[in-house]
Amino acid sequence: MIKMLSRSTLLRATFTLLVVLTLGTTPSHAQTDDAARKFVGALAQRAITTVADRQISQIERDERFRKLFVSAFDIPEIGRFVLSRYWRAATPDQQQEFLSLFEDITVLTWAKRFQDYNGESLETVSASKDGDHSWMVDSHILRNQGPQVPVQWRLRESDDGSFRVVDIIVEGVSMAITHRSDYASAMQSNGGRIDGLLSIMRTKLDQLKAAG
Amino acid sequence: MAAVAALLVGCATPPPDDDPEAKAEFEQVNDPLEPTNRVIFSANEGIDTYFLRPLAVGYRTAVPSFGRDRISDMIDNLKSPIYFANDLLQGNFTLAGATLERFALNTSFGVFGLMDVAEPMGIPGHQSDFGQTMAVWGIDDGPYLVLPLFGPSNPRDAVGMLAESYADPLDYYLQTGGRHWAYWTRMGVTAISKREAYLDALDDVKRTSLDYYSAMRSLYRQRRSAEINGAKNPSQYVVPSANMSALPANVLTEDTERQ
Repeated sequence: MIKMLSRSTLLRATFTLLVVLTLGTTPSHAQTDDAARKFVGALAQRAITTVADRQISQIERDERFRKLFVSAFDIPEIGRFVLSRYWRAATPDQQQEFLSLFEDITVLTWAKRFQDYNGESLETVSASKDGDHSWMVDSHILRNQGPQVPVQWRLRESDDGSFRVVDIIVEGVSMAITHRSDYASAMQSNGGRIDGLLSIMRTKLDQLKAAG
Repeated sequence: MAAVAALLVGCATPPPDDDPEAKAEFEQVNDPLEPTNRVIFSANEGIDTYFLRPLAVGYRTAVPSFGRDRISDMIDNLKSPIYFANDLLQGNFTLAGATLERFALNTSFGVFGLMDVAEPMGIPGHQSDFGQTMAVWGIDDGPYLVLPLFGPSNPRDAVGMLAESYADPLDYYLQTGGRHWAYWTRMGVTAISKREAYLDALDDVKRTSLDYYSAMRSLYRQRRSAEINGAKNPSQYVVPSANMSALPANVLTEDTERQ
């Protein structure tokens, strides 16, 4: 009898342990392909709604666009990738200023791109998980005329289960890789110093602001 | 004179061996002729700023988009023999068939190629060139090159472009019997039409990049390798909706592998 009891207890304990282990290894907020696809679709829709809203002032529109952009893009992650090996050589202050300038430049760049918005829409096609916390979403931009433009989005799932965009690949051209190559060259032409790069970035930001 | 000589032998200095990351970057950038390339790049930039870009802007202002589409469709249709030959040389027989069908449909129903009637009928266009073909054959691109007037390239793509200029049957025809004006017109219209198509994209790169030269180098490389991947895996053109097909998956796989 004692033997029986202990065996069933053992069984129950093992079962409980298995359940705990399974739950432990699978985060309760694990994301699905469909959720990744929907995230991109919703993001594009919100961006279009924001820039197309004629009820609010330009300043208000820019501010909303910036908020949306900063919340949807993992700018620190992209910035670290862009700076690559120079990131570790930089002091915390330099890293901080780099990220702040990089964010401003990126937001202004995309705000300007959206200013030319002309009724295009984004159609998401499929999504697939291609890494531990990494997803690739295939989509294309539909234009009023002309062929569709294929766009891929690389997403990263953060610890709280939310998605952030880390790269956009338009017709095979990755924004992050292009930036990395661009920034590395700008840095080298300034003697490989972070301060040189930061000063070029400040100038670029002023130009972008002046151009509106 | 000495300056010119220095320019021609001008090479980028490789980083020292004790900096493996810098070395890896140098190899990945693969631009040993960078100093010379930059000089040619800025000369091209000058020509573009004062000549080609204004022409493209004027063309956009003067000709409505409907007209511009007719012209670019016609230019594209006239390149069909080149696309067809390269499709065959790449072993992409299904794509070669599509090129042939497009040429027949667009030249007849599309009134000498002015209208791309094949696209709405489900035969979208694609471009194949001899640089791609050589890439499919396994020839590497080699170091980055900026060609005078033609811009970003590499030894493989430059050879491909040269070979094509001798292989185009229409060019042969136009260069004989006092038709040189037509040859130059075709070349000029193609240049302006292409430049117009890239107007916004290039303005954007120029505005947002810190170093226009290296941004263009990166863009060219990435774009080219995407095109070559497309040529190596043509199934993306041929079976656009494979997952919606009623055919069993293995039949489709066999079909695409055969190409």
